[in-house]
Amino acid sequence: MIAFEHVGKRYGGRFEALAHLNFRVARGEMVFLTGHSGAGKSSLLRLVMRLEKPSRGRVVVAGHDIAQLHASQVPFYRRQIGVVFQDHQLLFDRSIFHNVSLPLEIQGVEPREAARRVRAALDKVGLLHREKALPIELSGGEQQRVGIARAVVNKPALLLADEPTGNLDPQLSADIMALFEDFNRIGTTVMIASHDLALIAQLRHRILRLSDGRLVADEGAA
Amino acid sequence: MKSSATPRRQQGAALKTPRKAAAKPLADKPSQRGARSQQTRFSSRLRAWGRHHRSMAWDSFQRLVRYPLGNLLTMLAIAIALVLPAALWLTLDSARLLDAELDESATLTVYLELSTDAAQAQRIEEAVNAEQSVLETRLISAEQGMAEFQQSLGLDNALAGLESNPLPISIVVHPSSIEPVAMQQLAATLEAFSGVDEVRLDLAWVERLRNLAELGRRVALALGALFGLGVLLVVGNTIRLSVESRRREIEVVMLIGATHAFVRRPFLYSGAWYGVGGGLLALGLLGLGNHWLSLPVAALAASYGASFSLPQLDVTGSTILLSCSTLLGWLGAWLAVTRHLSSIRPK
Ligand SMILES: Nc1ncnc2c1ncn2[C@@H]1O[C@H](COP(=O)(O)OP(=O)(O)OP(=O)(O)O)[C@@H](O)[C@H]1O
Ligand SMILES: [Mg+2]
Repeated sequence: MIAFEHVGKRYGGRFEALAHLNFRVARGEMVFLTGHSGAGKSSLLRLVMRLEKPSRGRVVVAGHDIAQLHASQVPFYRRQIGVVFQDHQLLFDRSIFHNVSLPLEIQGVEPREAARRVRAALDKVGLLHREKALPIELSGGEQQRVGIARAVVNKPALLLADEPTGNLDPQLSADIMALFEDFNRIGTTVMIASHDLALIAQLRHRILRLSDGRLVADEGAA
Repeated sequence: MKSSATPRRQQGAALKTPRKAAAKPLADKPSQRGARSQQTRFSSRLRAWGRHHRSMAWDSFQRLVRYPLGNLLTMLAIAIALVLPAALWLTLDSARLLDAELDESATLTVYLELSTDAAQAQRIEEAVNAEQSVLETRLISAEQGMAEFQQSLGLDNALAGLESNPLPISIVVHPSSIEPVAMQQLAATLEAFSGVDEVRLDLAWVERLRNLAELGRRVALALGALFGLGVLLVVGNTIRLSVESRRREIEVVMLIGATHAFVRRPFLYSGAWYGVGGGLLALGLLGLGNHWLSLPVAALAASYGASFSLPQLDVTGSTILLSCSTLLGWLGAWLAVTRHLSSIRPK
């Protein structure tokens, strides 16, 4: 599903955020990405989303070198990836319901069908009763769950999550991870960047460890 | 448009086109589709597209209404920019300067020699009429000429004391072409006829009128173009600010796969609404100006013994004005958003 081939990423020409990355993630796999702050986890996910292009090497997703995608194709590529952002990226002047339905609106899903799917997604993250609230009225953890609901609402083939449990208590974190596992079980490829070493050790999935932009360990690979 | 949101079949569908044939398709939609289901897909996308247009039109209208004062000022600026060239155009139109009617006055007068008698004059007129570039002729006898002359002076009997009529018989010629060069040529030809004393053509004032009309037309068009540019700038600047204020939202929707067309749409509708509002205000202002000026103008005209009413935009004119302003608003928004979007990159 995802292949990094000799990938390097420089910001501003000098600083190397990522270097010599070589790995593959199979279809339907669930992978954790760990590493110290600034190790390059978010940068790696941004490469997969094609928010950035690699300075060196190729990022191949489902057989396509995504650097080759034309600018007009990128939106259609992104629609197939659900992303939970480290900083949520919610719209603060729209209700929770509206925030979650945004991807469906962009894809032109019929409103009644969209409403059904939005409620199902909100139900999964336990926020159905807050659908009319504004993000500002929610706690950090609740906002994060709204972000998760938005990422899964259109049943993407690939799910990327950047610190999805960063603001959650242990119980809720475990619930959210279980939710990701559910998605993984129905065939979604899942990639999660996380600091929470204790939690991800419990879950027994493959772990990619980054340090200073390099892949230093690849544990538990199938 | 570069990237329309219309149902282009997901070209970026990288994830749905696995290289390995054995690989199970991951997407929830089946990869094999019949022509029929493709057709329903297309029509459902078309519906989705129409839905988005409707909702954006409504949404941007509501945004206008939410900040009535600022938006009204923008529309007023547009209206003022439209009123000036429109009023000039109307004035020219009412002065018939834009009309072909003044061409009627383009005639030649052929004066025959004083010794010519009526029968000879008849023959000369026939000969003149036979010329190819002559449309019509009218023979004016010496008596008629005198009568018209007296009438035009408003002195009925002042010349009655004259012993003999000093005026020659004349022929008024309507040429088929009123081009100055053609008329001059015709004049030269007619002058060579025997029995013809002199050919006069009143080119000078026809020319002058034409030039004046052309000048007016050009000034109106130049003003129109200039003020049209002004409308573009006003709308463009307003839209630029509103793009800036919604920058965050744009970034987010682009992160989750919105096309440029999708992002542009609400702003294009805002621009079009500004145009519609500005156009309507301009029509209102023109009507108001007409009302305000009509009384003194009518009084003025009456003092000359004429009846004259100020010109008004008819339905066609109003439609044209409104379409132009809407189009200008839309275009201004398009330029502003397109220019601005390239500077917005999702973070
Ligand atoms: N747009 C950017 N311009 C310049 N440098 C950047 C940019 N984005 C990231 N970096 C740098 O790249 C390095 C990796 O950043 P990244 O955000 O990927 O780290 P991370 O592993 O996600 O950290 P954290 O756990 O704190 O989120 C950092 O040193 C950061 O300063
Ligand atoms: Mg990060």
